[in-house]
Amino acid sequence: MKTHIIAFALSIIISLSARAELKWEQTSLELHPTPNDKQAIGHFKYQNTGKTPVHFKSVHASCGCTTAQTQKDEVPAGGSGEITATFNIGDRTGTQVKTVTVETDEATNQKTVLTLKTIIPQQLELNPTFVFWKQGDKPDPKTIMVKAGKEFTVKHIKVTSSSPDFQTKVEEKGNGEFQIDVQPQETKNIVASTLTIQPEDSQKVFYATARITNAPTVQ
Amino acid sequence: MAEKEGMNQTPSAQRPTLNVEASAEGATSNVKHRTLNIIWRVVGFIVAGIFLYAGAIKALDPVQFASDIDNYKILPWPISVAMAFYLPWLEILCGIALIIRVLYRGALSILSALIVVFTLATVGAKARGLDITCGCFGHASQNWSFPSHLATNLAILAGLLALWFQSSSKS
Amino acid sequence: MRSSLVRQVLILAALALAPGVGGAVYFRHKISWRSAILPSELATVDQARAWGGNVIWVDARPDDEFASDHVPGAISLNEDRWNELLPEFLAAWSPGKKVVVYCSSLSCNASREVARRLRKEAQLPDVFVLEGGWEAWLKKKG
Repeated sequence: MKTHIIAFALSIIISLSARAELKWEQTSLELHPTPNDKQAIGHFKYQNTGKTPVHFKSVHASCGCTTAQTQKDEVPAGGSGEITATFNIGDRTGTQVKTVTVETDEATNQKTVLTLKTIIPQQLELNPTFVFWKQGDKPDPKTIMVKAGKEFTVKHIKVTSSSPDFQTKVEEKGNGEFQIDVQPQETKNIVASTLTIQPEDSQKVFYATARITNAPTVQ
Repeated sequence: MAEKEGMNQTPSAQRPTLNVEASAEGATSNVKHRTLNIIWRVVGFIVAGIFLYAGAIKALDPVQFASDIDNYKILPWPISVAMAFYLPWLEILCGIALIIRVLYRGALSILSALIVVFTLATVGAKARGLDITCGCFGHASQNWSFPSHLATNLAILAGLLALWFQSSSKS
Repeated sequence: MRSSLVRQVLILAALALAPGVGGAVYFRHKISWRSAILPSELATVDQARAWGGNVIWVDARPDDEFASDHVPGAISLNEDRWNELLPEFLAAWSPGKKVVVYCSSLSCNASREVARRLRKEAQLPDVFVLEGGWEAWLKKKG
């Protein structure tokens, strides 16, 4: 039994030492930007634990919304540095997972994938963000449900319509939930409105669209 | 006292009693037996090590593995995901079982079945002209050619079968 | 003899379930169980062309890529400027239209994300992702 354990440990050690020269502090980072942040930045630190210098052949991100930079192209033995991944949040929502693929000239493990998970805080969730009436439909009110995100307390919201063709009415359901009733004056003309929804005491603005559309085209 | 008597009475069929056989057959066959045993142990470690390594690589990135399984277009996506989470650990556990010699033949059977399935899937994908980039070594083997993939799998299968016959001749 | 082999296999198979489930929990945010893409949400270039004037093409790529070239008549809608671009897209939409979203190729994610948001947030029916993306369109151009 003892010989088994020694041999097992040896095989693990041998296989581990044949691993890459570049050691990453973390290959997966979780970021929590605030609602007003435009970018989320992840610092992937590495160290060259091998005996030869390591060159970065390429560093590229999974999407155009993320840029990744190395500070230097060559890492001497024993040297360290970081790859900075900048994720442009834009109008994205929810949990966004983007990756950065790093290619080096290491003997083993030429490709490392760095993962950037960004949890974008959602102050308000609108459902749906688009309400419409076909030309000629009855101008009945349609509902947009608004719910505050888990980490947020929203007591009141302000809703404005960019066009007088649509009227809005807000009902506070309590518990961070609101009901917006949207109603067009009439559905004869093709008109539209952008509804601006703003939580009280907040700079952030949310949008919904209301419009009268063409009647469906006959196939 | 009582313990010692008990030991003498337990059947010694499971433990190779080298000493008894040595005195009966001579010193040279004792060395031969020992060497053979060592060779089998080494083969066992190599095969186990391969599956431990392969399993570990896939267990560390099941997302990629699920994608690779999906590329074979054999299983529906949710099953591919389930397999991607499950199979690597099955490989790791069976590898460990081979090394510590517990559930030995069960491990051999499972690993043999896995290799056969992986190989058939690879051959099938090649026949269908699919562009797959993975065998059982995950993305680490993506630069291998098809023949070397096949050869490696067959060599591993041969090792597993040899270990199987060796273990059945022992008992 | 044989039953003990089956027993060994079952024990190993069962033991592997624990770390397997552990991995599924650990990586739960990195993977979607539902689909890589549901086939019913994909459309090929030929299919989209067959829908003729009933199609609205949506380009989910970044602004600079859209500016350099895009499917004729396509509307730009990407996640960088979603709030600004969505109303423009909705102005072109009417019930019955089929929406085909594309990004650069088979492997990019933007078209799936845009399609998902159109289905989920705007609750539009008939939203498809173009199989093969812009690459596939270019191949079929001639």
